[in-house]
Amino acid sequence: MPILSTAVSGRRGSDMPEVVVSIGPHHPALKEPVNFKVVVDGEKIVRLELDLSYNHRGIEKAAEQRDFVRVLPLMERVCGICSHAHSTAFAKGIEEIMQLEIPPRAQYIRTIIAELERMHSHLLWLGVAAHLIGFNTLFMWTWRDREAVQDTVEEMSGNRVHYGMNEVGGVRRDLTPAQVTAALGRLPNLEERINKYVDMVNYEETMLIRFRGVGKLSKEEALRYGTVGPTARASGVDYDIRKDDPYLAYADAPWSVVTDTNGDVYGRTRVRIWEAQESLKIIRYCLENLPEGPIRVPAPKHAPKGEILSRYEAPRGELAHFIRTNGTDKVERVDIRTPTLANWTSVAMCLVNQNIADIPVIVAAIDPCLSCTSRITLLDKRTKRTDIISFDDLSRRMCSRDHGQE
Amino acid sequence: MTESLTLDIVAGKMKEFGNAEQVRKNRIRITTPPDRVHEAIRMIQAIFGFDRLITISAVDNGRTLELVYHLTGPHRMVVSIAVELPRDQPAIPTTSDILPSAAIYERQIHDLFGIQFPGHPRLTKIILNEDWPQDEFPLRKDWEPHADTFYGGIRKERI
Repeated sequence: MPILSTAVSGRRGSDMPEVVVSIGPHHPALKEPVNFKVVVDGEKIVRLELDLSYNHRGIEKAAEQRDFVRVLPLMERVCGICSHAHSTAFAKGIEEIMQLEIPPRAQYIRTIIAELERMHSHLLWLGVAAHLIGFNTLFMWTWRDREAVQDTVEEMSGNRVHYGMNEVGGVRRDLTPAQVTAALGRLPNLEERINKYVDMVNYEETMLIRFRGVGKLSKEEALRYGTVGPTARASGVDYDIRKDDPYLAYADAPWSVVTDTNGDVYGRTRVRIWEAQESLKIIRYCLENLPEGPIRVPAPKHAPKGEILSRYEAPRGELAHFIRTNGTDKVERVDIRTPTLANWTSVAMCLVNQNIADIPVIVAAIDPCLSCTSRITLLDKRTKRTDIISFDDLSRRMCSRDHGQE
Repeated sequence: MTESLTLDIVAGKMKEFGNAEQVRKNRIRITTPPDRVHEAIRMIQAIFGFDRLITISAVDNGRTLELVYHLTGPHRMVVSIAVELPRDQPAIPTTSDILPSAAIYERQIHDLFGIQFPGHPRLTKIILNEDWPQDEFPLRKDWEPHADTFYGGIRKERI
């Protein structure tokens, strides 16, 4: 559907009528089904409504009908990019309820896949962001480099997207010495490429002009709106579940939480590239120090009654699986809170008073994953003045929806 | 990172709201009556500096509907505040006035479980499509889809 522009109303005291630009859900510029109703004044965004409810698949309900063995593949299919994040979050939650001790080798293999996933996700994001600002050379470069990561994952798991590595009690596939050597062999080149991007972001004109000062979010705002992941860390919030609530092998590996103080798309870009650097360190450490031993322990069919909030640092931020078991082989409830859902509130905030041409890159800066979120948030900015926004006004607007399609 | 919180400190300060228990390292769970939740969250924000709502989880346990508010802060401890609501006409005051990010989660729970949040600025459909039947809440245990009900998409007569 092409961009549809309709003049809806003349605004008092203004020469120009308000214009609503409706973009999506199916549009060549969008990667996933989403609908933006953007009210603009000239080139400036006055208010915005974001509709993401095109993808609800009822996975949480479906998970209640299946036993744990069958829920894991279902969890992987919550999201294509961070499939390992969802299956690991679920598996480690169930394992904790069952009080299973997972062998260190399995923990390390899970960590390697998790960090490869983060690296490919961040490289993919950098490519998308570069494409959105018309810097297609960088898009080609990052996606080519991402192939090295994808090849490694494919060699280890047999798949490029849904790795199918996890099972309750450990992992399904072991790493052979040949696979470890091949993976280690790819790292120096990847490192060189990522270092190049780290350097490039400091001087490349296109990135500086299009990323700097765009979609600004202060540290206070980031905290107040519950922002997670690289979006929050770009605003100086140092929450990272890998450090705060260590799981897998993150307590062993040498790495640090990266933050930036820019708080704009530029900051989010830098944080993601630096995180890819940290991922490299973790992957190298885990490959070199892969413990010997079994890769899984037999898991009981039934889980005792229990409840757990399983937190996981997915590439896009904190992923939370709230799992309740009832003594059977099925979960009573699994409540998935995806990082994109947590980040929408801040996106709607970032966009007010920004340029309409920056919508794609600001939205892309949180690396939205609509299939796993499929939820909606909106912002209603009625007055022309957009520089001062009170807290009450804001929270009211975040929840109101009294314009548009109803 | 500020000094870590222990169960004793949290339990001591939050005694009036209900029992606190340590579920595992880094996690404390407080069970409180529905009308005290708002107050409990404000208290925990003021005393311990909890500045982030992780999520609000909802569970149908067959008898009642449960809500669990998970909060965290600079000390990285997660405190979960749990409440139980009756199945007929479940309602609990909104927390979106003190936690802006709660608004989205409350609307989602409203859609899927049919819990009312009095004081919420606008509790409309968020996760289900707009033509979803008004009185059906798919994540309740007793929900069954009906063959003759329209759940969205394209109506049969138009195919």
